[in-house]
Amino acid sequence: MPEKPIQGEKKVFVTGNEVVAWAALAAEAEIMYGYPITPQNEIMHYWTRTIPKFGRRFLQTEDELSAGFTTVGGVLAGRRAFTATAGPGNILMQEPLSMAEAMRVPIVAVVEQRGGPSTATVIYSQQEVTLTTLGGNGEGLRVVYSTATHQDLFDYTIKAFNTAWKYRFPTFVLADGYQAKMRESVVFYDPAERGIKMVPTEAYVGRPGMPGVDRPPMHMRNTYNMEEELYEVLQEYLADYAKAAPEIEEHEAFDTADADLVVISHGVVSRACKMAVQELRQQGYKVGYFRPITLRPMPEKALREVAATAKQFLVVESAQGQLARLLKEAMYGGTAEMLTLFKPGVGVTSEEVVARVKEIKG
Amino acid sequence: MGKAVKIVLAGEGGQGVQSVAEILAEAANEKGREALYIPNFGVEQRGGVSVAFLQIGDEPIGAPKFQIGDIVIALSDRAVSRTRQYVGPDTVFVYDSGIEDIQDELPTNTNKIYAIPAIEVSKNELHPRVFNVIIMGAVIKATGVVAMEDAKNAIEIKLGSKFEKDPKLREMNFKAMERGAELVAGLA
Repeated sequence: MPEKPIQGEKKVFVTGNEVVAWAALAAEAEIMYGYPITPQNEIMHYWTRTIPKFGRRFLQTEDELSAGFTTVGGVLAGRRAFTATAGPGNILMQEPLSMAEAMRVPIVAVVEQRGGPSTATVIYSQQEVTLTTLGGNGEGLRVVYSTATHQDLFDYTIKAFNTAWKYRFPTFVLADGYQAKMRESVVFYDPAERGIKMVPTEAYVGRPGMPGVDRPPMHMRNTYNMEEELYEVLQEYLADYAKAAPEIEEHEAFDTADADLVVISHGVVSRACKMAVQELRQQGYKVGYFRPITLRPMPEKALREVAATAKQFLVVESAQGQLARLLKEAMYGGTAEMLTLFKPGVGVTSEEVVARVKEIKG
Repeated sequence: MGKAVKIVLAGEGGQGVQSVAEILAEAANEKGREALYIPNFGVEQRGGVSVAFLQIGDEPIGAPKFQIGDIVIALSDRAVSRTRQYVGPDTVFVYDSGIEDIQDELPTNTNKIYAIPAIEVSKNELHPRVFNVIIMGAVIKATGVVAMEDAKNAIEIKLGSKFEKDPKLREMNFKAMERGAELVAGLA
């Protein structure tokens, strides 16, 4: 038995891509499938550099379609498998991910957003929110965690495997190029030592016994002859998702109770918003902070509670309203005014958020 | 509680600005401070101006990049043009005095503009390879973000194995750092 990749706890100063690779190791991921694309390449680099010592595996495929399908295959064989991609790779991967939704295959995919549309920049954006939450020709039967710090990247990469295997929905860790490339401190730990038990995996195919005799046949479908058949299956899936959603939903908030205006953001942008809200509070502005951690499912109940008291929302994102669209759906019927600070494809600083709030509040 | 010190370092690829930022960030982290370092990166593998964004403070750092730096250091003519945008009224702007015909490109919205002869000192007194370490010394002196000793320790961790083989390298690096500090000592 190879030794555990992380023993005890250790504070390190590394890039986000290193964090993801180590988190996957700590989460007992057995194999990564991938195809290179900036800014996620170093996840593959660190993974492949580290795994010989720990008996894990890697397969580089010919493109992201293949990377997605092989990840599905790995999971069908009962492996805790994951992949990572970005931008145009995320587009290609939606087909295998739809298959994972169709067959309830718990694959984990790390997405590091870069600028779009198309090749655009390799640097950064929050423009893959729509694609990651609702991509595919289906109903978005998936879970998306949006990370803000390196600690989030570590924590939620581990958690993604457990969410996926517990509920059997494909699960995403949504980060971005800034997080991929920047260095900051993070505490690595062995999940077991923090009381985190990894959900056991099991093979979907190749189980022992004669199908139909010793055990029910495993019949995994992503195609149906009759529309009613599909409808019936989807009703079951949608009910499962609705039941799981309240258990999966996560958010972070402060100073919302007496706030006139609540700043809503996700991912790395929420770091700027957090600082801005703290600074504005010190200056006497009645502002609050809300950050959905799960973008799918949206923390609807918590959002509606905030919407009941706040008069205004300021939605801040490095995209032209991809988060705002999800929020509008979640808060439909609410009366709070929704104001925006959209900067598609570029970072947002706390100075800009402060200035925008002051512009609104006078 | 003070706000994080925001530093922009820019130069040509190969001048070593990313290493400077990384070593400073690691030195601060080693001392239990908060640090965040992010390089700019694009589709190009080489060529183009290399920019490093570094923040060091005592509270968790916010956005990885920022609009205005407390200190902006430009080490080539293109780096000067590229980093003007990060200069505000309170920014200390440092550039290398060896850059020619740059007067018109210098930022006009701050009075704290200093030219230091780092390239010259590296060539004539030390070795071109420690040019970036001279810059590191200058940054440390100008900002006080880390103690000189801590930066030396960080370099030791990074280059210790090379120093073991050739102790003169250690001497030269540490001397470069001291010289860098001297270059800015008389300015502010």
